[in-house]
Amino acid sequence: MPHSFDVAMGCLLLSAALAVWKRLGAAPAITALAAGLGLAGWDGAAALLRGAGPPAATASAALPQFPLALTRLSAFFLLLIALVSAPVALHAVSYVRRHFRPNRARAFWALLALFVLSMMIVVTAANVFAFLFGWELMTLFSAGLIALEGDSPERRHNLLIYVVMMHAGAAAVASAFFLFASGGATLSFAGMGAAALTPGVRSAIFLLAVVGFGVKAGLVPLHLWLPRAHPLAPSPVSALMSAVMLKTAVYGFILVCFVLLGPGPAWWGYLTLGLAAVTALLGVLFALGERSLKRVLAYSSIENLGLIFLGLGAALVFRSGGATAWAALALLAALLHTLNHALGKGLLFLGAGTVGQSAGSMELDQLGGLQRRMPMAGGAFLIGCGCLAGVPLLNGFVSEWLLLRALLAGPALGEGGKAFALPLLSGVLGLVGGLAAACFVMLYGVAFLGRPRSEAAANAPAPDRITTLALAALAAACLLTGIFPGWILFPLAGLTAQILGATAPLPAVGAVARLLPWLGLGAALTAGALAWRRRRRQAPTWACGLPALGPRMQYSAASFSKPLRTAFAFVYQSTRETRRWPADEPYFPAAVAYSSVRTTSFERKLYRPLAGWVLTAAQRLRRLHSGDIQAYLLYIFLALMALLLTLTGAGPSAATPRVPLGRSASLGPFSSQAGAPARRGRASSTPRSGPRSEISRSPRAALPAGKRRGPRERGRP
Amino acid sequence: MNHLASRLLQVAVLVGAAPLCSAWCARLRAWFQRRQGAGLSRPYANLFKLFAKEDLRPPGSSRVFAAAPRVGFLALGIAAAVLPVWQPAALLRAPADFFLLAGGLALARFALSLGALDSGGAFAGMGASREALVAALAEGPMLLALVAVALVTDHSSLSAIAAATLHQPFVPISAVRLLALGSLAMVALAEAGRIPVDNPTSHLELTMLHEAMVLDYSGASLAWVEWAASLRLLLFLTLIANIFFPWGLATAAGWLPACAAAALWAAKIALLAVFVALLEATLAKLRMYAVPEFLGIAAALATLAVVFTALPWS
Repeated sequence: MPHSFDVAMGCLLLSAALAVWKRLGAAPAITALAAGLGLAGWDGAAALLRGAGPPAATASAALPQFPLALTRLSAFFLLLIALVSAPVALHAVSYVRRHFRPNRARAFWALLALFVLSMMIVVTAANVFAFLFGWELMTLFSAGLIALEGDSPERRHNLLIYVVMMHAGAAAVASAFFLFASGGATLSFAGMGAAALTPGVRSAIFLLAVVGFGVKAGLVPLHLWLPRAHPLAPSPVSALMSAVMLKTAVYGFILVCFVLLGPGPAWWGYLTLGLAAVTALLGVLFALGERSLKRVLAYSSIENLGLIFLGLGAALVFRSGGATAWAALALLAALLHTLNHALGKGLLFLGAGTVGQSAGSMELDQLGGLQRRMPMAGGAFLIGCGCLAGVPLLNGFVSEWLLLRALLAGPALGEGGKAFALPLLSGVLGLVGGLAAACFVMLYGVAFLGRPRSEAAANAPAPDRITTLALAALAAACLLTGIFPGWILFPLAGLTAQILGATAPLPAVGAVARLLPWLGLGAALTAGALAWRRRRRQAPTWACGLPALGPRMQYSAASFSKPLRTAFAFVYQSTRETRRWPADEPYFPAAVAYSSVRTTSFERKLYRPLAGWVLTAAQRLRRLHSGDIQAYLLYIFLALMALLLTLTGAGPSAATPRVPLGRSASLGPFSSQAGAPARRGRASSTPRSGPRSEISRSPRAALPAGKRRGPRERGRP
Repeated sequence: MNHLASRLLQVAVLVGAAPLCSAWCARLRAWFQRRQGAGLSRPYANLFKLFAKEDLRPPGSSRVFAAAPRVGFLALGIAAAVLPVWQPAALLRAPADFFLLAGGLALARFALSLGALDSGGAFAGMGASREALVAALAEGPMLLALVAVALVTDHSSLSAIAAATLHQPFVPISAVRLLALGSLAMVALAEAGRIPVDNPTSHLELTMLHEAMVLDYSGASLAWVEWAASLRLLLFLTLIANIFFPWGLATAAGWLPACAAAALWAAKIALLAVFVALLEATLAKLRMYAVPEFLGIAAALATLAVVFTALPWS
């Protein structure tokens, strides 16, 4: 009897298979996708409410190296994936029909099902290999979906940055997991918590996890890919990437730092808090500086991931200080914000796609007045904006509120600096909240309100019913979670208490869940009383009594954010250039051109030197590629010698920990990968042993000799 | 005293007395400037007139334009429901804390800014953009100052903060409260749109902040906007009065103590309004790009206040 979760995964695979079948239309694939999402969501909800569910039996039986299991934590993320993917798929039905030719549409549906499947594998994986398998597939399928949308040198460049950074992050994630093996543990998540690790190794694992998952989550300064990749993708895929794929990083971070590693030193938490605060602030400031719908939304995702990691960091700090109930509350706030951001951002990216289709552009300066053209879709978009701006009665407010309550408990940690570090971060929360509100006023106000700034926006058709339904579903979820947060708060409270071993009931959760419905009721009653309608006569907008007020005289995105950008000028550092023609006429030029290019300082000061360094190293390494077969044979010989020397010479010394061969061999096809890094790491960590110096010296010593000897040797038979 | 009726009445009085407070400020300002000034019933007459007048809408505007002032007023109502007025028990009980107050204020501004952008003119967008600057920079210090007070009293609901402060002696004034008071006073001037941040009586569009946003409103919509603006000022004055100087709040049950406490509250507000009017009569409005520095000082004070909560002598 297969477990229903296996059926869900099977449905998704089937959907991908049906999608590429040319004779069938898209309908069977979409049906299978919907069935898979429904079943997975059902399983997630059931397992979250019930506690840990049974592991998925048949998947383990068919592929013993590839076990999947539903823990309570994975159940929450599974529910989140299903909850957001369903409206996204619904929206995609209409999007694909208008956007792609049949060939591409088939590829789209197949890749979409596989992308969702890979994310589900990540959050339900029961061992390292299944996790990494899903983690890499997630990158590949999303890259494939991005590639479907179009091709140009710039797109290819941005896609390359995305894939390269994802792989670098995956390398860090893999290293973090394999370091657990040094403690003699198995590589299944159920047994890894028991690994006996030294404090140094634990901290190394933590740092690798911060880097690895930080790349995926877009923590500053590892965020470079995010604002590049998200705008490239088709809108439903942007929605999935931002709303769901980023959240797998949150899942991974919680898995490694909370479930697998035990309580750690306080600096883990403070490091996370620092990164998170910088990420949230810079994310929202960069969002304010953008003028294209999707890029604003992408930077806003960085901001929200910053807020989520603020909760995670606070939880780490509280756990190391022994305040488990508060740690659980902070973790709960982070998880709730994960859900809220998924709902809100999914909604906004879908809305951006709708706007792009109707008005033909996603540049804010080409839009305007869309609320009148599409009242339902615009209303849903407004709810999404309110959710991410954190205004009361919507869900974003609830998670920020709980986060503030957790930060307020700083004095539970002790005296002195420990007591005020966390409360001080509430200032960051306030500043980020204020800036986010400004940012979403700009986004909605410029795109949907006022007068249309282009002909296309003035005649934008209303979206079809399917699109509106998808948007309305997500908007309703935002509103319901904002007023009745209890449906998710209480299961999450159980989950976080279980992860952190908190026994006391979480403070504030029940009270908040009880208060908000009353607030909603009061607001609804008062709003009903205020909303008596009257016919309103139209009169021209005030323009000092002068005629001819045009749509280009409205405030644009750039002018709206100008005061804030001036106040935070040190963050932006744009390079500006004004050119006048003719150059010798400074006062009466015939033409003036102004350009302002904002390259983030991270790109200039961190990534470009890094890329330059890698390229230089690659250039140097290229000299080894002499094209000379004898030289290559020499390399192979030297490498073999070095390997033999390392294995025989330093092997018996038992001082350094290593993977027991028998155990790593039992891990199947991945065992060689598992063993190799550990051994290489050991070789380089014993600097005084003979073989190591041989490795480091031999290629350099051999290279000129080989080159010199090359022609002569070639002459001999 | 914890009767629902009494708690509801607090919100009603707060909302109802808001125009009176603004009128009192204007009257004081006129006196300080050796002018006669309008009577205290002037704002009520004004509201009455506006509610009877026709509501106009700009061409091309959507429903957001008409809904914005009403949602803004409603949001301030939520904020008012969190505040204790004459008894240390607000309408909304314990988990409703200062974050909900800040949320209500933020929602009001969110709504009104959107309404401004919907009018499709240049001035309204300008006003919304400038308001965004002030609001974004004011929210941080406001939260920090209230966090400091919450840490000192170990409560986060404003009623509980007021109740806890009631039992403290007045004389050894704590540094935390002093710093938080300074910060919150600066934030109040900025949030309520008073001099030196904004000039509510300005008639030149280019110098306006809040007034520029609402240039296109008329009739009942304008009435809601003006009422909300005066409510915002009264909210901040009540907040400052009741968490820093709660002495005199009614702790006993019955109508008589409540009436006495309400009279005392009105006296405190009248006194605080003197300071506001004095500033307005003597200071000039700051250049807009000096406002970030003004709020930066508020943020620094509030940060110090939070840091000082961890010191033993605070």
